[in-house]
Amino acid sequence: MPMPELPIETDRLLLRNFQKSDLDAVMSYHALPDVQRYLDWKARDKVEVQAALDTMIQEHRMHRPGDAISLAVVRKSDNALIGQVSLRWTDATAGQAELRFIVGPTYRRQGYAREAARAMLDLGFDKLSMHRIFARCAARNEASAKMLRDLGMRLEAHYREHAMFQGEWDEELHFALLDREWLRGSKVKELRRHMVA
Amino acid sequence: MVYAPRYPIETDRLRLRPFTRGDVDAVFAYRQRADVARYLSDGPMTRESVAEALQMRVGQEALRVEGDKIFLAVETKERSGVIGELSLILRDEAGRQGEIGYILDPGYHGQGYATEAGAKLLEMGFDGAGLHRIYARCAAANHASWRVMERLGMRREAHFREHAFVKGAWDEEFVYAVLEDEWRTAERR
Repeated sequence: MPMPELPIETDRLLLRNFQKSDLDAVMSYHALPDVQRYLDWKARDKVEVQAALDTMIQEHRMHRPGDAISLAVVRKSDNALIGQVSLRWTDATAGQAELRFIVGPTYRRQGYAREAARAMLDLGFDKLSMHRIFARCAARNEASAKMLRDLGMRLEAHYREHAMFQGEWDEELHFALLDREWLRGSKVKELRRHMVA
Repeated sequence: MVYAPRYPIETDRLRLRPFTRGDVDAVFAYRQRADVARYLSDGPMTRESVAEALQMRVGQEALRVEGDKIFLAVETKERSGVIGELSLILRDEAGRQGEIGYILDPGYHGQGYATEAGAKLLEMGFDGAGLHRIYARCAAANHASWRVMERLGMRREAHFREHAFVKGAWDEEFVYAVLEDEWRTAERR
């Protein structure tokens, strides 16, 4: 699997590897109850978030199914770490990957998640040659569902009361997109100054 | 949780019971067929693989911990002889989630046996095992199978396209599900 070229730059964002010094920024959104839902680990206090961060620092290449690329989402204008995006390789034979995203509460509703997710779909389909990328969200999380739809992802599943989460029934949506359905960002960010000169 | 029903379980026309080693030939008779294997993850089975599978199924007749499976042979009441197989699996204990499955000898298709057996599986899962939600999966192209799910009052919750590569081709899958209160409401009608 080819290595992604990092950082990935979009109009307003930089997607880069996590580093040790990100702890406080990650802590500020990781420990929130509504974010816990989307994590594979418990991250309620500094010790647990530190462990999560240590894992994510290692996640920058894909060797085998199960591996993930987890990136910090940094706003270019003020260098603030506002959230994270990841792509996890779930199935090698069928070229499947899961997209996840988290944006801290104070940075929501400005299209940052969509901008980061779009870059990850480009990465997944163009660089990593995935066949299908899927994403999940809670049914009541309308902002996430709308964003995934706007990216062209199709609703493939709507599970009702399929699991217990924090003492209540969970309702979950699955969205998916096939390689041939993906409309590339086609923004030529790769064109570097020295190549044009 | 302990759900250990008493066998055989009867419906109008069917008798459901745990497998025995003596069922190998009857199961092999339909499991060797390409049309039966077509929508299953494995290809047609050999007699040895059927014998091995049944060996594994002997004793799988109760649900106690997550992952436990009940496998049952289906017979018609009018004459003995296995015409198919059923499964009820405890997938998630905390969420009380179960999965059902059924395979019938094609010689017995089109007579409502799968629906009759499936209805009993739902009753076992909800009334017997106290499940909250029961789901079933099948290949999207297997119309006969998902029509049974619809007749059972299950809703299509998922339609996965090209989510897996099975036996050299892209897989398309349906997931159907029904919640306990939906099932009870339908039962009362």
